[in-house]
Amino acid sequence: MRTGTQARKYRLQGAGLDLALPYLMLAPGLTIVLGVLVYPLWDGLRASTRAYRYGSPVADVGLQNYLHLWSDAQFLNALWVTVKFVALSVSFEAVLGFALALFCLHEFRGIRLLRTVLIIPMVITPVVVAIVFRLIYASDAGMLTALSKATGGGEVQILGNPLNAFIGLVALDVWEWTPLMFLILLAGLQSLPHEPFEAARVDGAGAWRVFADLTFPMMRPVLAVAIVLRTIDAFGTFDQVFVLTRGGPGEATRLISIYGYDTAFKFQQTGYAAALFVTIGLVVLALAFSAIRLLRRVDAS
Amino acid sequence: MGSVVFKNVVKNFGALNVLRSLDLTVPDHKFLALLGPSGCGKTTALRILAGLDMPTAGKVFIGERDVTRLQPRDRDIAMVFQSYALYPQMTVADNIGYPLWIRGTSEAGRKAKIGEVAAILEIGHLLDRRPRQLSGGQRQRVALARAIVRDPAAFLMDEPLSNLDARLRLTMRGEIKRLCQRLSATTIYVTHDQVEALTMADLVAVMQGGELQQMAPPIEIYDRPANRFVATFVGNPPMNILPAALCEQGVTVATGIVPVDQTRLAACRLAEIVEIGLRPEDCSVAPPGEAGVLQGEIYVVEPMGNETLVNVRLEGGNVQVRAGRDFRGVVGESIGVAFDPANACFFNSGGLTAVHRVNNNGRVK
Ligand SMILES: Nc1ncnc2c1ncn2[C@@H]1O[C@H](COP(=O)(O)OP(=O)(O)OP(=O)(O)O)[C@@H](O)[C@H]1O
Ligand SMILES: [Mg+2]
Repeated sequence: MRTGTQARKYRLQGAGLDLALPYLMLAPGLTIVLGVLVYPLWDGLRASTRAYRYGSPVADVGLQNYLHLWSDAQFLNALWVTVKFVALSVSFEAVLGFALALFCLHEFRGIRLLRTVLIIPMVITPVVVAIVFRLIYASDAGMLTALSKATGGGEVQILGNPLNAFIGLVALDVWEWTPLMFLILLAGLQSLPHEPFEAARVDGAGAWRVFADLTFPMMRPVLAVAIVLRTIDAFGTFDQVFVLTRGGPGEATRLISIYGYDTAFKFQQTGYAAALFVTIGLVVLALAFSAIRLLRRVDAS
Repeated sequence: MGSVVFKNVVKNFGALNVLRSLDLTVPDHKFLALLGPSGCGKTTALRILAGLDMPTAGKVFIGERDVTRLQPRDRDIAMVFQSYALYPQMTVADNIGYPLWIRGTSEAGRKAKIGEVAAILEIGHLLDRRPRQLSGGQRQRVALARAIVRDPAAFLMDEPLSNLDARLRLTMRGEIKRLCQRLSATTIYVTHDQVEALTMADLVAVMQGGELQQMAPPIEIYDRPANRFVATFVGNPPMNILPAALCEQGVTVATGIVPVDQTRLAACRLAEIVEIGLRPEDCSVAPPGEAGVLQGEIYVVEPMGNETLVNVRLEGGNVQVRAGRDFRGVVGESIGVAFDPANACFFNSGGLTAVHRVNNNGRVK
């Protein structure tokens, strides 16, 4: 026994400050999330069940807005254009990004500089990228036209031709977002253990077999995450299209985001636009979940 | 099949000199154990032979063929990595079968072969698992299986048994030895376990600090070590080394004078020996005070079951002695250590063995 009068203090776990501290620390973050995420979401959901005139709600229409979407030819077209755009851009970005990452994995002189340069497009503001591409594509004084004229051709129609405008948009997206793929995949490649690769070389595998039997299977989870991220992001592409083509010519590059913007702000159909975006949100969410489910299944088998 | 030759192989990692001019020849069909303390460059030598690292200078031959600059896959070797290096996303069966699959072996042929080696290594029940679901020792056996599933010109094994429990290590030791004899491939087996080296190998190469110290059959390594390092590194407990001085009748060790016959004494004199080396089993405990017996006191007594290790403190240092299992002694008790000088070897000031033991077969006790 100790002689002092001081009783030893025993502290309990999960009592007193221990109990309150997590909530105290969560409070500021939670407030912000409630304010800027949850409330707008709820407000949007409410708006999607109403009809608007001159910017103010005039009637509750229930799920009318949602049902109407599926008989709206413009919406269906925008959806189709978006799906085409996302599928094309993301697959190009994945293939290109993977190839670049594999290339940049090797150590040689100037590799650091090369890696840095490759990331630049990603850090430029999207609107600026779009303006630059508009200058490149312009049919009168654009870079492509200048090039074509220098080699004896005529004016190059990009933004005026439906197919070319769509391809031009995909090219812009690929240019801007391949670096993100590249970065994620490079980090993934660098974190792979390298003994298995040495073992495969000794076991007799050539470069292609090493890629097909080791690199690709080991990279599949990272690749899937990168693709899901980019897909979600690409569904929301807006600023580049807005600056580059505003959805034209005709409806060739009118993505769902542009159509939604037009309905909300040009045609003032706030409720209908809200229903549209909620639907797209659900579609993207479903896509992401099924991708992750698929990934888990592959991983577990 | 083929012999393996290192010719003046040098390896630097930046400023660090890991291998200094390694010269090593492993004859065809021989089992070589590469023995040495941690960090002496064993793995480096093996990786150069496998083609995973390029030597800074020198050449490597496998069966007359200069393979110095060849891709690993064109060298016809199988390797067990120290860190296993299993393919994480493949099952154990696929891991083992991979070298065969690459070579286009049929499904049936592969299955049969996988089953065969899995049975030898006692991993038949693990074939459907993935590497991360295995224990360290199980992974090691899968790595071993992946190497022996093939029939290469040379096997390179980097401490393939280091992670197994004592019983398994004993069985596997025997299995690998049998297997290598049956396949009669040239084998280079890296280990820092000298028992493994002595029991398994046809030839033992002892390395230290990036240099080859000695290469010889196990018995010769044990009985006629080339220098002080080999003498103390091989053998368990290690050889006793005591300072020794020359005198008229023989050699002065600790407090006693040990008589040495004239021819050896002359050789000792010529080489200016400074130390004497004695294996523990060549020493015996004796009543103190007898002639030709070194005086000391008991420092530690370790009963081993079949024998007793007695550590005796002498004037010039401690000596391990192998005594019978019924030895009884008390720490601090004074005791004598007897030995036949014919079994002793002598080292010069450079640490080289100047005078070897007299007979390397029939041991005198
Ligand atoms: N890639 C490398 N870069 C720099 N130094 C290295 C490299 N690989 C090995 N070394 C150094 O080379 C020396 C020999 O290493 P090595 O792996 O050949 O030792 P080892 O004999 O296999 O040892 P162990 O028994 O512990 O496996 C060590 O000092 C190590 O630090
Ligand atoms: Mg090693």
